Amino acid sequence: MVTINNDLLNQIDGLEISERIQQWKNAVKDSHWKLFCDRERWTLASWKETEGEDIQIRRAKMLRKILENIEIKIQDFDVIVGRLTPDVIGCATAFDISGDYIPDIWKDTAELNITMDASVGLDAESLEVLRESVRLFKGSTAPEMTYKAWASIVGSWVTDAEKARLKDPTLDTGIFAQSTSVLMWEKILKQGIRSVIDDAKKRIEDYAKEPETDGQKLIFWESVIMVCEAAIHHSHRYALLAREMAETEKNGNRKAELLEIARICEQVPENPARTFHEALQSMAIVGVCKNYENPMHNNPQWGRGDQYLYPYFIHDLNKGTITLEKAAELLMELVGRWGTQTFVSAESLKESHQINFAINNIMLGGVNREGLDSSNELSYLFLHIVGLLRLSSPTVGLRWNRNTPDWIMSKAIRTNLVTKGGIPLFENDEVVIPHFVEDGIPRDEAGEWCGLGCVYPCLPSRAEHYGSEGVAAVNLAAMLHLVFHNGIDVNGRLTGVPTGDPREFSSFDELYSALLTQHEYITHRVFELAAIARDEQGKHLRLPFLSAMGIEQCMELGQDLLIPHPDFTMMGISDRAIIDVTDSLMAVKKLVYDEKKLTMDELLNALDADFEGPRGEEIRQMCLAQPKYGNDIDEVDRLAGTLSADSYRIIRSYDNSPFRKYIIAREGLAWHYFGGLGVGALPNGRKAYEPLNDGALSPMRGRDKKGPTAVLRSAIKAGFKESFASVLNQKFSATMIQSKDSVEKLVAYTNAFMLNGGSHIQYNIVDTNELRDAKIHPEKHEDLIVRIGGFSAYFTQLSPDIQDDVINRNEHHM
Amino acid sequence: MNTTIITNIQGFSIHDGPGIRTVVFFKGCLLSCRWCANPECLSKKPEIGFIHSLCQQCGKCLEVCPNNAIRSGEDVYRIERLRCDSCGKCVENCDYGALVRYGDLMTVDEVWDAVRRDKMFYDTSGGGVTASGGEPLLHAQFVKELFQLCHNERIGTCIETSGFVDTDAFLEVIPVTERFLFDLKHMDSVTHKKYTGQFNDQILKNARVVVESGVNVLFRQPLIPGVNDTTTHIEATAAFLKTLGKKALSLELMPYHRMGQDKYKALNMEYRMENTPIMSYDELEAIKKAYMDLGINCSISR
Repeated sequence: MVTINNDLLNQIDGLEISERIQQWKNAVKDSHWKLFCDRERWTLASWKETEGEDIQIRRAKMLRKILENIEIKIQDFDVIVGRLTPDVIGCATAFDISGDYIPDIWKDTAELNITMDASVGLDAESLEVLRESVRLFKGSTAPEMTYKAWASIVGSWVTDAEKARLKDPTLDTGIFAQSTSVLMWEKILKQGIRSVIDDAKKRIEDYAKEPETDGQKLIFWESVIMVCEAAIHHSHRYALLAREMAETEKNGNRKAELLEIARICEQVPENPARTFHEALQSMAIVGVCKNYENPMHNNPQWGRGDQYLYPYFIHDLNKGTITLEKAAELLMELVGRWGTQTFVSAESLKESHQINFAINNIMLGGVNREGLDSSNELSYLFLHIVGLLRLSSPTVGLRWNRNTPDWIMSKAIRTNLVTKGGIPLFENDEVVIPHFVEDGIPRDEAGEWCGLGCVYPCLPSRAEHYGSEGVAAVNLAAMLHLVFHNGIDVNGRLTGVPTGDPREFSSFDELYSALLTQHEYITHRVFELAAIARDEQGKHLRLPFLSAMGIEQCMELGQDLLIPHPDFTMMGISDRAIIDVTDSLMAVKKLVYDEKKLTMDELLNALDADFEGPRGEEIRQMCLAQPKYGNDIDEVDRLAGTLSADSYRIIRSYDNSPFRKYIIAREGLAWHYFGGLGVGALPNGRKAYEPLNDGALSPMRGRDKKGPTAVLRSAIKAGFKESFASVLNQKFSATMIQSKDSVEKLVAYTNAFMLNGGSHIQYNIVDTNELRDAKIHPEKHEDLIVRIGGFSAYFTQLSPDIQDDVINRNEHHM
Repeated sequence: MNTTIITNIQGFSIHDGPGIRTVVFFKGCLLSCRWCANPECLSKKPEIGFIHSLCQQCGKCLEVCPNNAIRSGEDVYRIERLRCDSCGKCVENCDYGALVRYGDLMTVDEVWDAVRRDKMFYDTSGGGVTASGGEPLLHAQFVKELFQLCHNERIGTCIETSGFVDTDAFLEVIPVTERFLFDLKHMDSVTHKKYTGQFNDQILKNARVVVESGVNVLFRQPLIPGVNDTTTHIEATAAFLKTLGKKALSLELMPYHRMGQDKYKALNMEYRMENTPIMSYDELEAIKKAYMDLGINCSISR
């Protein structure tokens, strides 16, 4: 185990945001979000030149064309160069990847809506380039061709199921195998990407000597050489630009910086990084090249940055070749840049994710190969700088294990306070690693797991197909809706299987088994479609750069990762809304079968009327009053556990050979809004189309009445042992955890949950704005507890002037 | 079976003793401090609280009340306290959470069952149960039995007390109590009576008994602007603590807040602290410093 330098930790605590980073932050704040059509321009040019060539080569040449020609810029405050667009905030489109995915592009508009609440400016010339590109690619991209293949087999079923929110529509979002996952950063930094070129050349030479017949391998390696050379060239373009700028630069300091940029860009990413600065610069260029290859949902990810960067960091610090301030500033520059990278979402992603910034993940700490915790001073620095930056991205996770030391835990909790919550989230090594090992992954490889985007655990060494074949999640609440309507979905289509009129069901067991029937029908069908997508996508898309930088076995097998191979492919799914369904089933069990307070007919009529009508509200209150998960009530918590196990059984019963079986990770994002749109009123008391519960193990909003520890006890009892990680969100007001003492208590609280088998927990620290909102919209914030000096109350039950007191306190201490 | 009336059992309490604690609020107190934040714990009997802001005037409570104790006024409902026997029927039937029942009859086993559930959190945090209220020592036998069970399972035990009980009550629970949080409201007996309804001699006597028994004790003081924040009173408190010996040289200040005010309204009780200001951070720090200068290890509960 590394010996931790406490003085260094104290110095880190004292670091503040530097002038240079503040300049960047101001630039981000002041800049209008702009859409840059430059990538599209060069994509078009290349695609026209290469008509008729092999898809692998075409894609490689396309990336090369982009990297050689796209406009690059070095901003005044840049020390690390390599950015997707010349401006600090900008986004690029990807019609070659996702086809006609932006309806706005056809409107007469000077603005393009890119997310739920952000638009980008557009000029007439750019718009023309974009439209030309859409016309060229429309209908022939991997997602579009997959939808066509699906339609030829199941007709409108896929779109029906997506509209009924039974499955996630992830295909047009540009998520392809590994595309949101982590590159082989350690190898890239240690060996440089020239080594990958040499490797490919060697393999081509060897190929000639061996009795090989698969010419596709040769083509793959050639494509790798092409894109890696292009990435090196791209870096050299920055070197050249920096030298040019240095010549006319009047300020001596800046001149020196520019010359240093030039020197470093000539060294990396081609050659091994020798310093912390070179390592970050190498990552910046490789990251941006990954992004040019596929700007959709393919942002660079850190993975275990505190591990592979540590040797460079500590070496330079100890040798005195870098100051802590400088190291922190460099790290902040790249964390900030990757955290503010935007892309134009597909419509479906806007709804389900509601994100402005591309997700990227930093996973800190975790057990090392000796079973000891690997948190180090750089983990601490990462936490500190995300606290200083206060951005909505990156997602930061801390891998908890029973040896995770208090110093990193308390820094993690304090970072939650500073960032107002969620950063970092906590995931459990002792749940995730055994899961991978049970699934046949070697222990050492499993120990390298990190977050895919947010919570979903993935192995950087393998191509993760979560979401990439048109399936990320199935919605159990929408399945329950099918049960209540004999297979008919919320839009009146028969997307489910007829399981009979529930009014005829004679027992709870019959109802329950109808749910499992729907589940198996929907889920297995979705898996069959995924297999079709898997075959189809590789015909229309290849990602040679991502393959070479991401997966060792792609190089060995001579195969692009868009042609999945069982050796390096992981498949996963999130079976969502288990708690909504549990609470609903429990209410039906009690009201209809056990206590017979309602007939099934009365209940279903009330649900179909969305609890309107003469007895509507009364029945809804009866539903709400039934035992709810999250209150440490055995009967309902165990039902959640049973449903979890049955769902697992159904998912694992799908024979996915020759590929691995699907793993389960119950993540959430903002999906509960999206998922709720496919579900009518439920017997848990939720009204039609309202959001479902957030997360996987979070209780129904406002229905956990026994305090936060009871929620955790329920979660532990429900277990969800079948899942690699299950999202549990908890909300605390800032006033509750402002003293050192309370921080320690929240550490102990987290430790207790994780020690007892919790897989994930994330804290939302309620900020003043939310308190203000709760004052105006109490119905949205029923679960908000405030605790002040031993006094505890539901915020919404306080009178307005007392609420103001609480708001003032909250503000004072933030 | 030993039973008593409990108003609330609150898990994840982080300001009432070491670690993460479950606070058991006992009902009934012989003091009536004007600033009391838990007025629902003053009376020994169960009571019905009425949160006007949540009432939708649906009329259900009027229908179900067997004693005709709820009256509909022009724009609000009102509980006739003399007619109400706190049966709780209105609470059960209120769809909007506007009616709450303060106080349920519970056995030691029932309270124990609620307390033991959070053992995993006590284990990692060094926490446990805190008996509070109201005045828990009015239920000394109950507390003793509960704490004995906790003791057997290595769950920490703590009592928050006003000190205004018979000394015997202290002697009863001291063997099974790890820690006392002992309130000192005012050092001048007459002023004490003015604000709390009782003289302080019994309290000061019990303070001495507790310290001399050797059990861990932290003295606390609700810090009320205009009542006990004067230099004279700070000096008097410090002087008293010094007479108790070296072990008692700590004091935790609990700044006045009016978070309990709504409960007064809910109970139809008069709130007599209406115009008391909330102390600023700097004012609190100044008082803390005054205590520190007098050799008292002073902290502020926030």
